[in-house]
Amino acid sequence: MLKIIFGECAGVVTNPAVYFKNTYEDEWITDEMSRNMILDIDKSTVISERIIESPVLGGITPKELSGGVKTLILINNCPDKIFNASACGDNCAKWLLEMGKNKDITINLRHLMDFGNGDFEVYIQNTDQVVHNMRELVPIAGTIVR
Amino acid sequence: MKGSYTIRVGNNRLRYEFTICRNITILKGNSATGKTTLVEMIREYYEDHELSGIQLESSVPCRTLSGRDWSIILPAIENSIVFIDEDNDFLRTVEFADAIRNSSNYYVIVTREGLPNLPYSVSEIYGIRESGKYAGLKQVYNEFYRIYNPENENKLSEVNTIIVEDSNSGYEFFSAIVDDNKKVISSEGKSGVFGKLLENGFEKNCLVIADGAAFGSEIDRIMKLIHNMESVVLYLPESFEWLILMSGLIDGKRVQDILADPGDNIFSEKYFSWERYFTDLLVEETNNSYLKYAKRKLNPNYLHDTEKKRIVSAMDKAGKLISE
Repeated sequence: MLKIIFGECAGVVTNPAVYFKNTYEDEWITDEMSRNMILDIDKSTVISERIIESPVLGGITPKELSGGVKTLILINNCPDKIFNASACGDNCAKWLLEMGKNKDITINLRHLMDFGNGDFEVYIQNTDQVVHNMRELVPIAGTIVR
Repeated sequence: MKGSYTIRVGNNRLRYEFTICRNITILKGNSATGKTTLVEMIREYYEDHELSGIQLESSVPCRTLSGRDWSIILPAIENSIVFIDEDNDFLRTVEFADAIRNSSNYYVIVTREGLPNLPYSVSEIYGIRESGKYAGLKQVYNEFYRIYNPENENKLSEVNTIIVEDSNSGYEFFSAIVDDNKKVISSEGKSGVFGKLLENGFEKNCLVIADGAAFGSEIDRIMKLIHNMESVVLYLPESFEWLILMSGLIDGKRVQDILADPGDNIFSEKYFSWERYFTDLLVEETNNSYLKYAKRKLNPNYLHDTEKKRIVSAMDKAGKLISE
């Protein structure tokens, strides 16, 4: 399940882009989920571990991926860490929900991410509640973050 | 600084063109739209100018601020547009808000978090999108677009509850003009609006009146709370004082000229947000007149029939909701 800690929280990796740059492994990039996330969010195609084709920037390395995709890759590959997922835009939300279907992941959010109009299952750790849509999530999370 | 600044910056693959209108601009939105790339371009141009391979057109210096030593660096920056990326924890601090108050700089801040210490306008929150203007060329052109247009969604024909951010003159005014079947509640500040909506107006026909000039940190959670709800309408004038000035009650070409382009008169060094400028302007313009204005206590002359009608009329659709 996707578990969220809203607001500031000790021990969280607050700058995922820096953490990614210094810790990422080649195989994280070529993993099928990473390829799909990179294609969906950055509109870029993974050629090999260290080469990605961006329609805007041309050939780039993983270090030039968007902050959102870097954070998603970290969340997927470092389950022992909690990352500040406010580095992710709303276009990353469906991937967080997707990851949460297969395993328990815990993220930190300092803003109200929009998880869309559909139903989902998200655990809010601050209040020990499970919510199933944005209508349930916003009144709870909105009292903690803006 | 005062006024607006148009900036063009780019390299051989990517160009941005945008106009900064106030002292604080917020950039947010989806991942991979080029926010961090923009800040990096500004930084690289500042370090190496044309030798960076980046072209930048701006009538004032553009530079970036980041890192642990921000508070040492910032006092040395004047009359510049300062870009700050989202990975800087100091953005949320009171120390940062204090440091940029009375600053001659404008600030462009990348963040998805609401920053309640900073009084930024709802209308100065932007995303970045690819502009269609130059489609097909080698370079991709990016522009800013305004994320929130809350007043476009007014579909109500009547309201039962009015939540007013103000607890002083604005609250007094709206409390006095509505009829007995409408309830007016003060949220006692912008951060109280969300809670008051949950308590009182969430499911009922409700109008929220708040100062758009400084409501930026609240708008996202409010918009998400009322998403798909036709029972809540937002009315976000710059401020109550701006509304009075806009009503035409205050004679004179000077006021009209200022209202046509306020930014040309509002120095960032003096006014952290536009709402404070409009308060000062109204106080100054009404001094020694029967409409002498004080923020803490409403002058009862504003509740005379003619004055009241002029102000409500300046509210357009929201005014009709209140008066009908």
